Amino acid sequence: MSIEDSHQTACGHQKKLTFCCSYQTRFICYTQKMAVAGPSATSSGLQDKLTKSFIPTIKRLHFKVVQYMMEACIKLQLDSTTSASACTIYHRFFSRCQAQDYDPYLIGATAIYLATKVEEQFCKLRDIINVCYRILHPNEKPLEIGKLYWDLRDSMVHCELFLIRTLGFNPRASDLPHKYLVHYLKSLQSWIDRDTWNTVPLCDLAWGFLRDSYHVDLCLRTKPQHLAIACIYFSMEVYCVQVPYNDVAKIPWWKVFCEDIKLVRIEAIISELIDMYDMETKFKPSIAASNSRTKGKLTSS
Amino acid sequence: MATYQREVIEFPYCEEVSKYEKIIKIGQGTFGEVFKARHQKTRKIVALKKVLMENEKEGFPITALREIKILQLLRHENVVTLLEICRTKASAYNRYKGSIYLVFEFCEHDLAGLLSNSNVQFSLGEIKEALKQLLNGLYYIHQNKVLHRDMKTANILLTKDGRLKLADFGLARAFSFPKPGQPNRYTNRVVTLWYRPPELLLGERNYTQAIDVWGAGCIMAEMWTRSPIMQGNTEQHQLTLITHLCGSITPEVWQDVDQLELYQSLELPKGQKRKVKDRLKSYVKDQYALDLIDKLLGLDPKTRTSTDEALNHDFFWEDPMPCSLTRMLSQHTQSMYEYLAPRRRIQQNHPPSHPAPPPPRQNAATSKLGLNTASFEKTY
Repeated sequence: MSIEDSHQTACGHQKKLTFCCSYQTRFICYTQKMAVAGPSATSSGLQDKLTKSFIPTIKRLHFKVVQYMMEACIKLQLDSTTSASACTIYHRFFSRCQAQDYDPYLIGATAIYLATKVEEQFCKLRDIINVCYRILHPNEKPLEIGKLYWDLRDSMVHCELFLIRTLGFNPRASDLPHKYLVHYLKSLQSWIDRDTWNTVPLCDLAWGFLRDSYHVDLCLRTKPQHLAIACIYFSMEVYCVQVPYNDVAKIPWWKVFCEDIKLVRIEAIISELIDMYDMETKFKPSIAASNSRTKGKLTSS
Repeated sequence: MATYQREVIEFPYCEEVSKYEKIIKIGQGTFGEVFKARHQKTRKIVALKKVLMENEKEGFPITALREIKILQLLRHENVVTLLEICRTKASAYNRYKGSIYLVFEFCEHDLAGLLSNSNVQFSLGEIKEALKQLLNGLYYIHQNKVLHRDMKTANILLTKDGRLKLADFGLARAFSFPKPGQPNRYTNRVVTLWYRPPELLLGERNYTQAIDVWGAGCIMAEMWTRSPIMQGNTEQHQLTLITHLCGSITPEVWQDVDQLELYQSLELPKGQKRKVKDRLKSYVKDQYALDLIDKLLGLDPKTRTSTDEALNHDFFWEDPMPCSLTRMLSQHTQSMYEYLAPRRRIQQNHPPSHPAPPPPRQNAATSKLGLNTASFEKTY
């Protein structure tokens, strides 16, 4: 792949569209969230958070880096599972290491590279470097083969080894929630009446929630089964869809899928998701500013 | 993204390999070197396998990553146990690239080393026990959706207390059953040529666990012949040898074989009869054994017997029943490895995953063989 090619991949129109779509999902979620969390206690706590407390800088930083990672993954046409795996690696790393000691953008790019190996969706290191560089430096020329390119490549290779060691040579410690989500939805499909199922984009929304959940480190603190159930529950609330006879059932549907989940836990996960979407709207304008800041970082090295 | 100064990187998450002292090198291959080593304090004996990182253009080798991932997943008495992963310090000597070592439990022998030593004699019950453990190990890894992809006697280890273990997962990978209309596209450049099944030789990329079963069949026959039964020089030669043993490869005995990529371009001898039992009966006197070998070496991977079926075969359930290997192995205090056995050293040059170039016919080497290690091919 020549430089021109990869440049085109990085800003190809089609991919850009896909990228926008994923954010659209998020937008929908956000606008509907009040209807969901309206009267519950968590929501008033949330309002407090919005007005009074401020979101920790570190959390915001990771949110931003994950956003950049997701963009890179989409431009590299990686599967959702691969990008989820990359984000998990990223969050696991920073659960053990201090953010100020490392450049999170390098860790993020390397996490993507490692994830492509772990998930057997191999991607050339060079493509990852080109795409990541492009996202971080949208106004500059595409990266040429030269000292900077080789230095970046060298850094990635070293950083990869470092990541693997930090993660105890076990880059995929637990299952991803994706397969559970698909299985659960498949089972629910035969329960929910066909008309509703065909008209309401329940699956898309649940999938979108799951993908977006990686903007925070929920994946580290939540069992994959629980995360999958919470995403489905949330999307059913959004569209006011109910599993027939759930209210009279001895065992609620979520317990059928996973015995050890409680409704409180589902609500807690959903509340974290809502917090995450709020965080996004709160500092959307600052993303452009962050780009110019990292630019200084790269050229100086 | 930024570039880092090399010196700043310190690794607190991985212990140093210097806590083990190397005793002797016991293996060498495309994967790297294997050493016997002793823990400085506990005196525990282990095997150290160095991860080759020379070709670090694409970073940490994906094969090593797979091997680690698979070994961390698999825990079975017939699969070698990965104890931990160690490192060497990065210094000016290794261009600031520390190496990684996989630390394994130590096994005294490998099957290739044992079979090449004419002083080692297996009784029928002992052969049954070894094969039972081999198939048990294979059954377990296949249940866990892992393909070994490098079955050969050098990769079958035995401890002195008679436990057989599958080792070297350097070529192994996870697999999934192909979905309709979506065939898998795995590389077919796997398995040492002499143990490579016909479907791989014909270019199949959508292969299954059956590739390991073929290897098990080759190994089973080797328990009696004492040397690999089909020692081809090239893929073409290997296929010819397979045809001579298992009969001509035609769509009649192997449905859809003509769909395979190399079916047209390779020369497949016609009119050959299947004579697995005939040609092996001078070595293998047991009828059940012959029947099982015949089933393991089935041409069509779809109808080749599975590990489960093989374990239910009468061979394992008729007298003499499998019996412990401990007594026999206790007579041999010296470790036996293919790498340390002088006459088989040449085979080491044969790259496990690389189809070409083949090892030259070892006329000098074969002439040195003892009576019971005479080349199977030469007898015919």
